[in-house]
Amino acid sequence: MKVSGLLFLEIIFCVGLLIAQSKTVSAEAKVLYEGDSIYNHIRIDQDGEERCMLFGRYKDKRQTCINMSNPDVSIFEYTGMMFVGFLFHPDSRDVALIGLGGGYVPSVFSRNLPSVRIDSIEVDPLVYKLAQKYFSLKATPMQTFTVLDGRQYLKKTERKYDQIWVDAFNTDYIPVHLTTKEFLQLAKSRLTKNGIVVQNVHNANKLFDAQVATFRAIFSNVFVFNGKKSRNAIIVASDNPLYKPSNFKQSLKNRVKIGEINLKDEAYKYDPTLKIAKTSVLTDDYNPANFLLHQDH
Amino acid sequence: MIRLYTVLIVLLLVFGAAIMSLEILSSNLMSPYFGGSVYIWGSIISSFMIHLSIGYVLGGYLCKRLAKLYPLMALLAIASLWVMGIPNIHPAVGEFLSDKIMDVRYGSLAAMNVIFFIPITIMAMVSPYVIGILSIHKKASGLSAGVVLFISTLGSFLGTNATAFYMINIFSVSTIVRGIGACCFAASVIPLFMRIDRKLKNV
Repeated sequence: MKVSGLLFLEIIFCVGLLIAQSKTVSAEAKVLYEGDSIYNHIRIDQDGEERCMLFGRYKDKRQTCINMSNPDVSIFEYTGMMFVGFLFHPDSRDVALIGLGGGYVPSVFSRNLPSVRIDSIEVDPLVYKLAQKYFSLKATPMQTFTVLDGRQYLKKTERKYDQIWVDAFNTDYIPVHLTTKEFLQLAKSRLTKNGIVVQNVHNANKLFDAQVATFRAIFSNVFVFNGKKSRNAIIVASDNPLYKPSNFKQSLKNRVKIGEINLKDEAYKYDPTLKIAKTSVLTDDYNPANFLLHQDH
Repeated sequence: MIRLYTVLIVLLLVFGAAIMSLEILSSNLMSPYFGGSVYIWGSIISSFMIHLSIGYVLGGYLCKRLAKLYPLMALLAIASLWVMGIPNIHPAVGEFLSDKIMDVRYGSLAAMNVIFFIPITIMAMVSPYVIGILSIHKKASGLSAGVVLFISTLGSFLGTNATAFYMINIFSVSTIVRGIGACCFAASVIPLFMRIDRKLKNV
């Protein structure tokens, strides 16, 4: 038996990897924090004025960043794009945000939408802790934070929202139970009369088609905004939207800018001729979301 | 002789695969009601461990008492039928328990036990039962305890990967669960017609 030889080789291999890895730690940005939660490997970097929360280690470059001297700037295109929700429902009072990250969204609310209540829901307790410590997030009567799975929160809450924002997805892993018809049905039941669901997605893979199809199975109106600089897309869905893209001019009369975000620019990203491939609706029972995610168009 | 060994090896492979395939699929059964957090994996793995450990003890005990294979086959047939019914019972169980138990940890733990206690405990009896049978009828047994565990674990490996990598992308969860139930049912009922216990005397 050559088992002992194999074991020996494996030990040599691992030691070699350790040595190789210790030499490749980059020194570009200053690392403020690095550690592991039950869900993520999290690092907080400071590079000049930009402070970022990075998830994963090497391949998954998901991150959320804030410019410390001008925190209203949306460093990533999609975070600004999500605010198109205010074109559909300009006088929103209650917003739920599923997926907190570094807390860019609630911080924009606190400075620029002080009369809008926002309830943020984050599944990872460490993300919330770090967002408080490094991104100066604070619970106030208008800003609440709940550490819980997003679907569980919606199931248990008795509140109704004008807007429910879903931003809970990694670039390489999707929590499947937040993509299904049943989840959207639940979200819909927590909306006010003209309420909308706003979801951040990626439009470069086949999951996008399936997500649009799933939204269309639940909501009578589904709108898609495509990023100009990124492959991010925003899906907005509602049964009775107050405004539709055809009368955005009217809703823009109320408000054009939210901090540094120009809603007029975001409105142009609406895709009126959206074509999706024929695909099946995602359900709790049949859900190949993580498979479709890795299949390009 | 060869027929007996074939039956035993198929049993070990099929039920080894079924246990792990169901374990992988339980995350899809639990997450709509209890979320996709690490807690549900804690519930899934810990409850399977409990079912396995009880099954091991029961399997060894029953084998010693009965010294025949057909009672095991009959129990496995019951477990298989239960598995085929899981797609029908799990929404009601998930809905009820997630309403009654606020803490998702204990809610999912309770749901896992309600749904899986009976089938997994019975399925876990296969390895110790087979080892026991072989040691009772040992004369020229080619299957040592180690080889029995190897075959069953090989089945578990195949069940885990086939489910997580491929089946879940092609079929709905309820179709896979019913399919597993049907395969298990076939694997436990067909040997009943093969007079397998008579073959044992010749071992």
